[in-house]
Amino acid sequence: MGRKLIKYPIYSITLVLFLIFIILPVLNSIRIAVLDSHFFENINDIGSDIEFLLLKSSFLSAMVAIISTFFGIVLGFLIYKTSVTYRKYFKIILLIPLFISPYILAVAWKDIFLLFFDKIENTNSVLAIIFVHSTIYIPLSILIIGSALVNVSKHIEESALMITGLRKMFTGILLPLIKPAILSSLVLIFIFSISEFSVPAYFGVKVFTTEIFTQFSAFYNYNLAMLHSSLLIVVCVLFLVSERKYIADSPFLSVGTRGKTTKIYALGHYKNTGFSLLVSSTFIMIIFPFLMLIYQSFEKGTDSFVKAMELLVPTFGNSLFLALTGSVFTLIIGFVSAYFSIIYRKILLDNLLLFTFAIPSIIIGISLIKFYNTPYLNGIYSGFWIIIIGYVAKYGFIPAKLLENAIKQLPKSLNEVAIIQGIGFTKRIFFIIIPLILPSIFAAFIINFLFCLSDLGTTIMVYPPGTEIMPIKVFTIMANAPQSLTDSMVLIVFIFTMLIISLLFFIFKKIFTSYNVNY
Amino acid sequence: MKIISVEDIILGLLFFSIFIFTSCRKESDLVVVYTTVDQVFSEQVLKKFEAQSKVKVKALYDTEETKSTGILNRLLAEKNNPQCDVFWSGDPVRTVILENERMLQPYISKSAKGINKQFKDKNHLWTGFSARARVLIYNKDLLKDTEVPKSIFDLAKDKYNGKVAIANPLFGTTTFHIAALFTIIGDNKAKDFLQKLKNNNIIIATSNGDVKKRVINGEAACGLTDTDDAFEALNEGNNIGIVFLDQNGIGSLIMPNTVSLIKKKYISENAKKLIDFLLSKETESELSFSCAQMPLHKGVKTAKNIPSPDKIKAMKIDYISTAKKLKEIQNYLKKWVEN
Repeated sequence: MGRKLIKYPIYSITLVLFLIFIILPVLNSIRIAVLDSHFFENINDIGSDIEFLLLKSSFLSAMVAIISTFFGIVLGFLIYKTSVTYRKYFKIILLIPLFISPYILAVAWKDIFLLFFDKIENTNSVLAIIFVHSTIYIPLSILIIGSALVNVSKHIEESALMITGLRKMFTGILLPLIKPAILSSLVLIFIFSISEFSVPAYFGVKVFTTEIFTQFSAFYNYNLAMLHSSLLIVVCVLFLVSERKYIADSPFLSVGTRGKTTKIYALGHYKNTGFSLLVSSTFIMIIFPFLMLIYQSFEKGTDSFVKAMELLVPTFGNSLFLALTGSVFTLIIGFVSAYFSIIYRKILLDNLLLFTFAIPSIIIGISLIKFYNTPYLNGIYSGFWIIIIGYVAKYGFIPAKLLENAIKQLPKSLNEVAIIQGIGFTKRIFFIIIPLILPSIFAAFIINFLFCLSDLGTTIMVYPPGTEIMPIKVFTIMANAPQSLTDSMVLIVFIFTMLIISLLFFIFKKIFTSYNVNY
Repeated sequence: MKIISVEDIILGLLFFSIFIFTSCRKESDLVVVYTTVDQVFSEQVLKKFEAQSKVKVKALYDTEETKSTGILNRLLAEKNNPQCDVFWSGDPVRTVILENERMLQPYISKSAKGINKQFKDKNHLWTGFSARARVLIYNKDLLKDTEVPKSIFDLAKDKYNGKVAIANPLFGTTTFHIAALFTIIGDNKAKDFLQKLKNNNIIIATSNGDVKKRVINGEAACGLTDTDDAFEALNEGNNIGIVFLDQNGIGSLIMPNTVSLIKKKYISENAKKLIDFLLSKETESELSFSCAQMPLHKGVKTAKNIPSPDKIKAMKIDYISTAKKLKEIQNYLKKWVEN
């Protein structure tokens, strides 16, 4: 008596729902690809060309991941751990590239490049891809690393500073303490970059994802595309598994406890240098492309802006609802996965989230269509739930990853003592764990909100007819609209997103204050 | 034995009922249309239909980023349980792919009486209306009128080395244009011509819109694109010219929009109403003003400078066999683009 039939009901229910709603559709697609009569022919098609492309894409993405993470550490430290001037504003401003689709930034950057060069040759195109992708993913790295930095207890830093200088403390204490976040940043950005196809396609560089896209869109050969995608999935999963193993073997991990705020460093002589670095990054990552967008929007008056506003206003409600619902669901599933994988070593859900994260959006979309588009499941397929399912499949892993790192930074004894004291599961979660990892929860929520709000790959495949969604509208309108209209729409998306993010920052700040958390 | 608390069950049921409730809304007086025609142009036509017929239109549009193939991929994936009632395509290629997949239902619209049978499927699976043509646009700052190519074959000449742009021929109307060339001049001559273009350092752009942009900003002196892109560039006030190529030779490629009824268990009357509306003179006139498309009916009021298809020498092609040729040459085109 008193023994539970299901030992971890919340974990088990979440896992079963994930298996039914997301894994079954994906397995169904794999089954179709394997049972295809051309399966062995398709296998033979994977030759040295494909392997070369995969290597090329891996190299490009590795460069992007290293550059983005390097700048993520530097800028993240400046914003989250120093008293540099206007750091609170930089916190929001430097997130901007995450709001905008890579394709639009590629268009803006190409226009800028063409001001300096007559043509963009092939080598320059490769460099352009690395550059554009890096500017897009540096904010992601700043968020991941920033949330880890503020979780480091100031007592550790202060103790270290008593016996050594700032530089040694930074390289010898702080960097090792945030190693999981650095690795997460590297791996996540690598995966985002290798799965992204619109920027290489726009610069005319053949990479692995453009090859998959060609199989889908020119040859309508789903099964070959699925097979190619499986190689991409294998590479991504290998990276994630190795990263996980490395983190699991790490002999460190820090403590961030309630009431003990993060340490903020005065930059002293380096104050101007730090500020200049943030200003130059803002100019390169944001001001230049946005000046180009603003110039093109208003080059011929304000008509385009007004027209763009008319077009986008009907999308605001739907997009906000979908992005908020999507980020709440992904956050919940991410938290359940992270909590149970770290505290109780239940890693199946985490591995499944990892698996679906590595699947290209178009495959997720087609898998969902093939599974849900039946008379019996029409209720899901023809409503907004299909989009939410797509978001969870695609982005559920991100909060899981970020929250795992945050939960790992907590002392295990906290949970153990609470159990011994007889504190129930719900109380442990809401009054011990969540308050301690609030900054990471906020970061995970904001990142996923931004991804859901700007998602195109999965949404375009499954959104119900007649539904007005912001990124879809921008991309369908831009097909033959004047440049000024497209740029105006991008500006409006940006302003709208900024307002929402500012509001979310405000709300979370209130919550943080009530929990006495510095962020 | 404690399994799950009563609160958990109530919460679960509440969640489940919200899920079911929000999933099962049903609207009867509507029609679902998927279109590859740019939303800026197609949406206003569909809104007009809504206003006139009082039938709610639920539309899906395509994106530039997916080279207008997202909708077709979705239609194919939905094959076993089509959500779409009407497919409005910007060209006949995608419709023929659906025809080959046996996804279309015959329908003879009374609105299509005045349209030449050359633009209709003989089995009534699709009907063409409002056509676009493939044209050459050129930057007037870079090419004088006397230097402008008059034939597509001129583009392989040395004097245009590195100055001509074409969209990726694996996608969109460019694929169809190249396939039409193969059917008209034969495989060997077409391959020879494409090789000469390649040797002449032709610029391969991502889309027709990109061709337009490269010509406007001077990255290319001229390029092949569709009339809607070309007239759009002209209306934006850019210093460009438009040429219908090969008027003394093989002619220009004319591509009608096509509309077709999707085969499904229950064919809605609203779908037929929408098809009738799209094939009407009124819609053709609207598309002429909004995106420079050429009406296929006689006596339709058109925008200034819009030529009648009768006045353009058109390539003599059969749309079905061109679509078949397209499939045959896809691998060749992929290699051509990549090498």
